[in-house]
Amino acid sequence: MNTLLDMLASGIHDAKNQLFLAESLIAATEAEHGLSLGEARYAIEAASDRLSRTLAAYQVMRHSATPAITPVILEDLCDEVMLAQKLHLATREIKLSIDCQVFDAWPLDRDLVTDMLNNAVQNAGRCARSTVKLSVTSEDEWLYLVVEDDGPGFPTLPPAFGIGLLVADRLAALHVQHGRQGSLTLSNESSLGGARFELRLP
Amino acid sequence: MGDYSKKRFLVIDDQPMAREALRSIAQTVGAFSVEFASSYQDAIFRIRNNVPDIILSDYMLGDGRSGQQLLEELRRFNMLPDETIFMMVTGEQAYEQVVSAVELVPDDYIIKPFSPDKLVLRLDRITAKKQFFAGFYREKRKKDFAAAIALLKKQNESEAGRPYRYEILRQQAETQLANGDPTSAEATYRNILEKYEFPWARAGMARTLHRQSRHIEARQEIERVVASTPHFFDAADLKATICMAQGEHAEAQRVLDEVAKRTPRNYLRKRLLAEAATLNGDTEAARTAMTDVIANDTMPGAIAPEDRLALARSHINSGDPISAEKVLVTLRDGEVRSLNLAEQASFASLLALASPERGISKFTGLRPAMLSSQLTPIAQMDVVRAALSVKDHELADLHADYLMSSHDAKKVFGNIRAQYALHGREQDFRTIQKEVALRRIHQEAAAHTAAIDF
Repeated sequence: MNTLLDMLASGIHDAKNQLFLAESLIAATEAEHGLSLGEARYAIEAASDRLSRTLAAYQVMRHSATPAITPVILEDLCDEVMLAQKLHLATREIKLSIDCQVFDAWPLDRDLVTDMLNNAVQNAGRCARSTVKLSVTSEDEWLYLVVEDDGPGFPTLPPAFGIGLLVADRLAALHVQHGRQGSLTLSNESSLGGARFELRLP
Repeated sequence: MGDYSKKRFLVIDDQPMAREALRSIAQTVGAFSVEFASSYQDAIFRIRNNVPDIILSDYMLGDGRSGQQLLEELRRFNMLPDETIFMMVTGEQAYEQVVSAVELVPDDYIIKPFSPDKLVLRLDRITAKKQFFAGFYREKRKKDFAAAIALLKKQNESEAGRPYRYEILRQQAETQLANGDPTSAEATYRNILEKYEFPWARAGMARTLHRQSRHIEARQEIERVVASTPHFFDAADLKATICMAQGEHAEAQRVLDEVAKRTPRNYLRKRLLAEAATLNGDTEAARTAMTDVIANDTMPGAIAPEDRLALARSHINSGDPISAEKVLVTLRDGEVRSLNLAEQASFASLLALASPERGISKFTGLRPAMLSSQLTPIAQMDVVRAALSVKDHELADLHADYLMSSHDAKKVFGNIRAQYALHGREQDFRTIQKEVALRRIHQEAAAHTAAIDF
């Protein structure tokens, strides 16, 4: 237990283990009594994501973050975002649609990118009127992960960065391949008329 | 969603509450049979008795053990069929770093907390992948490597193979290496690296170069990996192995010493450390490492006769023939008879060195066989040493010549020279070196001429 980072990481690790116990108890209760407590589980997972993101933010600010790059199947990644967000969005009568046009595995940090997309979909869900769309395409060896909504769009551009956007921006830049670097672009050029979150990765 | 009701799950976690949580998740996804293991040893025992279909192992297993180490051990003893799903469960983001770097990875990992739905999603995905590779697994199990490679190449061209391209190439490279074709494996790793700089692919390439005895290139490649991913311990092992081949035994020992401190219960690494320390002349370190291995590598069948030979060798090197003799006589006659010739030669040589009155007759008895066979480098070093001590110049010089003409020449040079010096035969050793060098020049010239003629 040498550094502040070790201490934070260990504390967050313990907290996530506790959250896992809570979530498994809820899941067992759901199965036993035929209940649906999806929102309770959503809150637990959101809390855990917050903890991870806080740690990621600390590492990013200290310039000690290194992405863990593995080949990732994008359809699977989209399925995970759908699974994590679908029920919660449905409680607000917002539909999440997914369009994945990339079939080859792509080298990226699965957990960080999933978290960025979950965060973007959450943000979009807060402003959307009825629809949030996640699309995955590739062009000229770039991968585009785009989250759009049909809400009013960002009030100012560039928008004020919360911790999630800050981390997304820095972590996009840590994806580097053959001298090309990932980036985050926020705009109001959504095909649905609202805000657009675009993560471009090499 | 797949049907998991007939699958046998094994949940491995040292924390009772977490174990219970994992079980209830597994039951929620429909698992009927869920077995528990509360520790590393317990897990090995259960898997050995009855291989489960799906293993959910926590990354931290307590007692200095990790799920990663468990996975490595299961592969080392061939206890994990390709069809079995091994899923690492972790609260640590740090495990991603391990997975992205190392060559030996679980089928997937999942970060806590997670819902039963998410586990199902992941298991479905792994099942689909294993179905895709089912034919390859069958050929590989039959050791029909050519058929396995042909199948992978065909799948790589297929539409269904698109999501699995990297996995196909990775399996292809490993199978090519297993098939004794490091040149093709090197090309496959280069193909992967053109797409992305994965540490495991770079390390794989270093391994293929090492197998081709291209040690300088291998060293350059592995240095890159070690520098960029210090938590990739197997890369450090490979670096040490390459260092030894280059005759840099001190560096090999330093590298292994450092990682062994961080993985105190990895006994394959301890064996490698003992080898490096022996070559480096650090007899005490070699002795300590081998004593630790024999006392604590508790997997049944883990301690091979060659481990006892290594321990005996380290005692002799430390000037303790009595302990060496004690170790050697623990090998029963039947066991010695079932050793291969190289190990028998080591046994007889070490016993002759530890206890001349008990060993010399055995050593002389094996002499004709030792004169007519090449043996392994380790055995040859033992034979040279024992032969020098009984003044059997013919036998000593023959194997010294073999060693100095082999790919291991740099590795063993210092030790062999020291042995000849010990017996006042430095000049004779120089003569052997000269003969080997002359022969090499003639061969190269002949090869050159043949090339021109052609």
